Amino acid sequence: MEQFLIDTFGDNILTYIIMPVPVLIFLSLFALGAVLAERKVSAYMQDRYGPNRVGKGILQTLADMIKLFQKEDITPAKADKLLYNLAPFIVFTATFMGYAVIPFCSLYIGADLNIGIFYFLAITSLSIVGILIAGWASNNKYSLFGAMRAVAQIISYEIPTALAILIVVMIAGTLSMQEIVELQGGGILNWFIFGGPGGATKYILLPFLFAAFMVLYISTLAETNRTPFDIPEAESELVAGFHTEYSGMKFAMFFFAEYGQMFAVSAIVATLFLGGWQSPFGELIPVLNTPVAQIIWFILKGCIFVFVQMWLRWTLPRLRVDQLMILCWKYLIPVSFINLFAVGLYIVL
Amino acid sequence: MSLYDGIFYAFAIITVVSAFIVVLSKNIIYSAVSLFITLFGVAGFFVLLHADFIAVTQIMIYIGGILVLLIFGVMLTTKITDVKLKTKNINALTSAIFVIGITAVLIFIMLTTNWKVAEVVKYDETIDKIGVLLLTDYLLPFEIASIILLIALIGAAMYARKSK
Amino acid sequence: MRKYFKNIYLGFSTIWIGMMITLKHLLFYKNITIQYPEQRLQLPERERNRLYVNIDDCIGCDQCVRACPVNCIKIETIKAVPGDKVGKTGETSAGKKKALFVPKFTIDFAKCCYCELCVFPCPTVCIYMTDVFEFSEFQRNDLVYDFTDLTKEQAEEKRKKAEEWALEMQKKKEAAAKKPPEKKVPLKPETNDKNKSDESPDSKSDDKPSKDS
Repeated sequence: MEQFLIDTFGDNILTYIIMPVPVLIFLSLFALGAVLAERKVSAYMQDRYGPNRVGKGILQTLADMIKLFQKEDITPAKADKLLYNLAPFIVFTATFMGYAVIPFCSLYIGADLNIGIFYFLAITSLSIVGILIAGWASNNKYSLFGAMRAVAQIISYEIPTALAILIVVMIAGTLSMQEIVELQGGGILNWFIFGGPGGATKYILLPFLFAAFMVLYISTLAETNRTPFDIPEAESELVAGFHTEYSGMKFAMFFFAEYGQMFAVSAIVATLFLGGWQSPFGELIPVLNTPVAQIIWFILKGCIFVFVQMWLRWTLPRLRVDQLMILCWKYLIPVSFINLFAVGLYIVL
Repeated sequence: MSLYDGIFYAFAIITVVSAFIVVLSKNIIYSAVSLFITLFGVAGFFVLLHADFIAVTQIMIYIGGILVLLIFGVMLTTKITDVKLKTKNINALTSAIFVIGITAVLIFIMLTTNWKVAEVVKYDETIDKIGVLLLTDYLLPFEIASIILLIALIGAAMYARKSK
Repeated sequence: MRKYFKNIYLGFSTIWIGMMITLKHLLFYKNITIQYPEQRLQLPERERNRLYVNIDDCIGCDQCVRACPVNCIKIETIKAVPGDKVGKTGETSAGKKKALFVPKFTIDFAKCCYCELCVFPCPTVCIYMTDVFEFSEFQRNDLVYDFTDLTKEQAEEKRKKAEEWALEMQKKKEAAAKKPPEKKVPLKPETNDKNKSDESPDSKSDDKPSKDS
């Protein structure tokens, strides 16, 4: 993709502007679909119908989007105007920057950095600054509390995330996302959740890798502030957390970033453990290995994880702050360390 | 001017301007946010120098860690945001003389030195080398650093614990 | 240590049970939402909603007005001239004779509290509750319903007729009073007594609020 653009437009700035456009289009469509899906899933889980009026319900999010576009852009009188307006852009930009290293298929990846997954970890921490600024600049106690909780939570859960990712990196021996996916080629059994490529001895790793997969999924859930880890925006106590004061398009930016993050972390989990864009049938059916099929596989895997996020959201209640910290420090981190040790031992031997 | 030169100058302007705001701003939160932009600009320089690992580490540690801790601390201490920082000049004359003198010397050196322009080298991946070096040649400093961090962590936990 | 692993096991197993429950609801359970405008619940037998007045049966007795606790019903009546039919037949559906025109019978549903107290005293069962409950309006005045069957011109005509007839009767009375025939004297007090007995509940009901206040 990059080479094709360089050939057509030359090695200039235009190429690098066009490069991320497909991701942006995908992200917009995904956000529209995911908001609707979330409402429908929640409705059917509670024996309701969900939105079914605007175009049989399908156009509901589009209508909501148009409504948000038209809304008055309110800045509270006592808010810090500059930072208040800056915050949603920082949050969205940080989310979108994370997409640079997500491999959609063998031909399309924003930038195949040799530090890909490490870059993703670093960039997600940028959105923390945006959340903090949003919470502080709103000059509202609920916003500030929400921002504080969000930051404390995200920073704590970065540790198990990094440790779980490290296990995959140790087995793969690379940080580049595209290489990690390529290593998992050749069928479902070569995915990292089943030990990656290798002989029969790799199945010793199965319980450790499954544990790492669970740790990664749980901690990414916490990093996107989804229920059951949604104390930063706990509706019943904090109104809406750090974006309480935001309205109209700026609120839409936060919303957009949240759904973007949902897919991004799901895509990371899919890439690291479930073979990214690789078809589960390997070389048996060559049609399922074309770039178009790869994109479909990838989005399918991502969407399954997004669905599980929604499923969990409408099943579990919210954790208390101390429970949240106990889960992170007493369960996820020790388990990750044991995993790390076991996998390290296997690699050395 | 090539694309990379343009990016370099953009990063340079961003870094310098935001660094000025860090020093001159009267509002501590504004200073912190400008510091965020400055550190980000520095990370951009590292990328342009093909030091991608250091660039990402810069973002991870300075922005994701230290800066967030800084803003967090500022916000937790409620009174501090109202304090007007002193950014006034004192001893304007003496400092002006010094600054002009130093600037003149620097410009003189810059103009008279015979700069050698190095050939553009295609850099290899740095990350493998960094990893190997850290665990072979520089293992002792690496381990000492981690032990110091561990001590700091335990000490902080001890202080945070309520004494019974 | 044992407790630690038990906690992990409990965490996963309980989450699994919860997720299976929500999945069951997602896939197999029937949605129970009632799609209101298209799909309606059967209203209960004695529901109290919008009032309706069958003006053909109304005899203008004013009982409902007196019963109303919020004074949302307003009635005006005109006496019918002999020989003038009230309504189409001059009788209610039960065959009672109607003696009064009702040029104004308004109910203000913005005030109405749906207590149904006006329904019980009605001697001809012409005011009753319907099952209509969606009658929101943009203007508050649109909630004042007028149930009369007379147009303004007709009402004006009837009023004039009644006044003329009343004048005539007055003259007749005066003429009768000028030459008092002694035979008719015992009749008069009787009629007066009747009037008094008719008025007495009125005066009582008028007294009550004044006592209260």
